[in-house]
Amino acid sequence: MISFKLTEEQEMVRDAMREFAEQAITPIARDCDEASSIPADYIDTTWELGLVSAQIPEEFGGAGERSAITTAIVLEELGAGDAALAIAAMAPSAFVNAIIDQGTDAQKAQYLPAFCGDKFHTASLAAIEPHAMADPANPRAVAEEKEDRFVLSGRKSFVLFGDRASEFLVLARNGSEVDAFIVPRDAEGLTISEPELNMGMKGLTTNTLDLERVEVPAANRLGGDQGCDVRRILDASRVALAAIMTGMSRQVLEFCIPYAKERVAFDEPISKKQSIAFRMSDMHIDTEGMRWLTWKAASQVEQGLDATKAASFARSYAAEKTMWIADNGVQILGGHGFIREYPVEMWFRAARTISVLEGTVSA
Amino acid sequence: MKVMVCLKQVPHQDARLDVNADGTWIQDGNIKFEINSYDTYALEEALKIKDAGEADVVVVSIGPDRVTQALRTALGMGADRAIHVKDDDADLSDTLGCAKILAAIAKEENPDIVFTGFMSDDGNFSAVAPMLAELLDLPSATGVLSVEVGDSLKCERELEGGALEVVELPKPCLAAIQTGANQVRYASLKGIMQAKKKPVDVKTMADLGVSDAGAGAVKAKIEKVYVPPKGDSAEILSGSTDEIVGQLVTKIKELGVL
Repeated sequence: MISFKLTEEQEMVRDAMREFAEQAITPIARDCDEASSIPADYIDTTWELGLVSAQIPEEFGGAGERSAITTAIVLEELGAGDAALAIAAMAPSAFVNAIIDQGTDAQKAQYLPAFCGDKFHTASLAAIEPHAMADPANPRAVAEEKEDRFVLSGRKSFVLFGDRASEFLVLARNGSEVDAFIVPRDAEGLTISEPELNMGMKGLTTNTLDLERVEVPAANRLGGDQGCDVRRILDASRVALAAIMTGMSRQVLEFCIPYAKERVAFDEPISKKQSIAFRMSDMHIDTEGMRWLTWKAASQVEQGLDATKAASFARSYAAEKTMWIADNGVQILGGHGFIREYPVEMWFRAARTISVLEGTVSA
Repeated sequence: MKVMVCLKQVPHQDARLDVNADGTWIQDGNIKFEINSYDTYALEEALKIKDAGEADVVVVSIGPDRVTQALRTALGMGADRAIHVKDDDADLSDTLGCAKILAAIAKEENPDIVFTGFMSDDGNFSAVAPMLAELLDLPSATGVLSVEVGDSLKCERELEGGALEVVELPKPCLAAIQTGANQVRYASLKGIMQAKKKPVDVKTMADLGVSDAGAGAVKAKIEKVYVPPKGDSAEILSGSTDEIVGQLVTKIKELGVL
């Protein structure tokens, strides 16, 4: 039988992250969106939570407590505060986890300790490409082997914190395989764009990378001579996105329920109208469904099983349903739904944005 | 330096509270609990001392199994170890009984400073801290808004009418911390993960040599817990804003409160 009961530790983590989201994320979310930036003290505070270092092995300065399920729980709670700020808090994870899972001993020793210090340090995954039918698992970016080096060419977009990441993990086609390469930000031939101007999650800085014959040592190929399985990198990333979208959906629902109970139309609260009540029931059911798909995929990641199908299901379902739920949030609030005095228009834009990260719903 | 922090686990502020069947307490079998808010400020004061130098922070709580979560959270925030008094009879203690149990622990631990919260969110007695200080024969201060640690403990206390008072306590001493005294840190993910490796000592009253606490020693017995009936004396004013203001002013004049 399957139990969905959290461990005592996971309950503590959930409660702690929920408290943090309520007190430190939700109150600043609107300002971050309006200012298109995230305050430095928020980044510093999240760093003190040890969200990234908790997962790094103790020998490199972390807590050595890696759990994809616990990470999904954390991300749902942070996502229920604000999606952009949740992603910002966990931004280095995609890079760090790829190094932990598939890096060579030398790569672990070289890169992981920097993420266990007192000050925020980040590196980013560069997986998405700015062209139609882009598939992160089949990039157009290429890596040519040249003696003891690789030469990378291509373009990547939606790269988190491109303005401050120390390294980028660039997915590129290497002959018939796809590999990941660690590219330092000061590599010759690498151009980092100004921050992209996005529709939603505007506080989050994303950049485009242009790689024009960027040379990196062969030792910068993730996994060394053996290379890596990029699907595992993408699986973890997709589970993370699904967890954040679950939190986003819960956030919309938890805002709409009390609103609908208080908002009176035609002499009764709109929550009494079947068209609204049934809609909110469906929003609730879909949010639960998102959570179970996410946890199933996270469980497979945690067990080291092939999680590609489960992670894709979770992300795809979450992306579609998050948009639907955010759309209904706007609908339930009516005129209040699209004015900036209320947060649902911000969540609607965020849902539309996060749902196309790492491919469209149908990718 | 050793700092002992007394924590109480109380119903979560958002928990729905229903009176139990015999009207002596709330139904607490299926609600969420959290660390008493006052105690989180007390813990933060202890952790600030630890951050500033060498300090061993011991958190102590009385209660059933669920109290472990409060202690683990405190360990996740940075406390070094925990003592859990898990004893069905101890749970039935009144404030004096709790103070006696905590005093027995303090005598074993011999801390330089004892921090407590000023009061508890559920009982609102504000009694355990001064009782504990008295039992230990320690100088103490209540309603403390800030502390300065040196050879002694300088405490800024909150008085009525917005006035403040500064008192200096020679160590060992006890300070009961007021809410808002500091910015309570969040339990970190890394801290929670590491907390399971920190020791939690489980003790009974017998282990502590305490025989005059628990149900048999209760002096203040809860006779009845109830929700006051809703009053019917409220009057809702209606009309335009100007009309409502006019009616309100008339009412105030009629009542002669101004």
